[in-house]
Amino acid sequence: MRSLLARGLWPFTLLSTLLMLGLFASLLIGGFTLSLSDLITELSAQQSMVLWEIRLPRLMMAAVIGAGLAISGVALQALFRNPLAEPGLIGVSSSAAFGAVFVIVLGGTLWQEVSVWQISAAASVAASVSTVLLYSISTRHGHTDVALMLLAGVAFNAIAGAMTQLLITFSDDSQLRSALFWMMGSMANLSWPTVWMVTGLVSLATIALWRLVNPMNAFLLGEKTCMQMGYDPKWFKWQVMGFSALIVGASVSVVGVIGFVGLVVPHIIRLWIGADHRLVLPLSAIGGAVLLVLADLLARQLIFPAELPIGLLMALLGGPFFLMLLLGKRNRRMGNRSKVQGRGL
Amino acid sequence: MSASQTNPAKIQVEGLSYSIDGSELLKQVDCEFETRQVHVILGQNGAGKSTLLNCLSHELLPTEGSIIWNGQPLESISYVDLALQRAVLSQSNELAFSFTVQELVELGEAVQQRASVQAKLVVEAVLHVCDMTHLRHRDYLTLSGGEQKRAQLARVLAQIWPEQQGEKESTPNATPPVQNLQQLKIEPIFNGQWLFLDEWTAGLDIKHQQRLGRYFKQWAKRGLGIIMVLHDISFAAQLADRCLILKEGQVFADGEVTSTLTQATLQEAMEMTVRVEIDPQNKLPIITPLLESF
Repeated sequence: MRSLLARGLWPFTLLSTLLMLGLFASLLIGGFTLSLSDLITELSAQQSMVLWEIRLPRLMMAAVIGAGLAISGVALQALFRNPLAEPGLIGVSSSAAFGAVFVIVLGGTLWQEVSVWQISAAASVAASVSTVLLYSISTRHGHTDVALMLLAGVAFNAIAGAMTQLLITFSDDSQLRSALFWMMGSMANLSWPTVWMVTGLVSLATIALWRLVNPMNAFLLGEKTCMQMGYDPKWFKWQVMGFSALIVGASVSVVGVIGFVGLVVPHIIRLWIGADHRLVLPLSAIGGAVLLVLADLLARQLIFPAELPIGLLMALLGGPFFLMLLLGKRNRRMGNRSKVQGRGL
Repeated sequence: MSASQTNPAKIQVEGLSYSIDGSELLKQVDCEFETRQVHVILGQNGAGKSTLLNCLSHELLPTEGSIIWNGQPLESISYVDLALQRAVLSQSNELAFSFTVQELVELGEAVQQRASVQAKLVVEAVLHVCDMTHLRHRDYLTLSGGEQKRAQLARVLAQIWPEQQGEKESTPNATPPVQNLQQLKIEPIFNGQWLFLDEWTAGLDIKHQQRLGRYFKQWAKRGLGIIMVLHDISFAAQLADRCLILKEGQVFADGEVTSTLTQATLQEAMEMTVRVEIDPQNKLPIITPLLESF
């Protein structure tokens, strides 16, 4: 509908501009800074090496994973009908991490060399299993108990974390090294084939989830109504769980656990343009890319020449945001309504 | 007007039983529904009214018996095809995130995938019908119970509202401004659509019950099939073309208002104490529930 386009146009333009600026900034800023004119004129061999083999793959990964995590947040929030459903909070990401470490540590006995494909597959499987379990625990007769969902998430995080630690205890030196290296959740040293793999998987899942924007809207009205409006709720749920787990698995397998992207971005987008998924999904994708590109730039520059793990940085930024959401919710419940906007939680 | 002159669409229910956890909620129900009529299902709490409606809308699969929808078995029709021709207003409605009223209505409208000009006309029409035009930009979650009900009803109507013929050219492609509402004709021509309503009057004030009741009667004449579950027996007497009275999961009475809503039936099927008079003008029963038996 036209009104939909009209509503989305301004946020879309703004976010795209931000993304372009962010991309250029983080392409140019770094260990040694390039200027725009350097890009136009001939680059030295060293400059072009830095640009093509270090900064560009990293940049692309940040954008793709940011977009993917935001989308999987949107999808899970539609599934649980709750804005707090986020892969990191409800234990999906840490389950994916467990799957990845499992293959890193034990995969060596099965295969000679563990490839990034195998790690991704294991992470995705673990993520989908935990999503399905969590959904069946916290949802009865089509109603999600929010407290139960968050508490089950706490339990999942604890269990997956403990099992990951256990695996590490049993690993030998070289396995330990690769597991620890991976657990730092770093964006450094990404190779092009890895970047293409994640980009491919995330794009696939994004296209699949984009097809589901209408049923996502209908699902907010309840499972029964979703069916009355012509969508098959069972099939819809399986798809949402599968594809959001694929995104989380693919990104966790490469850069480790990065939390809060799927919480912060969709929330801000919903405050801005409402809850219609036809807008929330694409705008969250761009917003997630912006957020992670900027966060990565910050992570590289803050304590230069060293570098903050991006997962750590996101937790530092996202944790307080999450608390703010909870406070807003509490104030509303306690009747402190005037201070809180009507939209949102 | 050709649409409403063709044969009415039919839903035939044969030997329908539904049981869950060992209790039989519907037992061998036989009945028939037609478009161009307002069907009202009555009965005590737990008589199986909502269960029957849920079976008709394909939410529950009957344990026995069959539902024939326009000559086809109901289970052979896809969710999508069903959604294009029938809309359901459930007893309770939820909405997880905040939508404005207009956005909510657009969700229902989106099922049909109409051209955008038509889509806007449909949204305007159903907002007007449900008296929600002035509340269109309000957040659904801040509305009162009755207003929420009307907003949901508008959403449900938008799902099956027929496109108006010949208005495509006359409408500018900008958003129809509010002052155009008078020109907006609420004269839909239905073609075999169905509207299922489960206790739609709950929470609505009398003014809006009457407003919508009048519309329902009008639309039934214009080809819509309406099946509703009601508790308000006096309202049912004025609204219904046919009444189906259920008792303990079985059909107790089925037929015209004058033959079903009699003092004897109501007392026996629903254990009500009522006075039934016949309105000398329209020959319909006037039913007054009484606290004291006389």
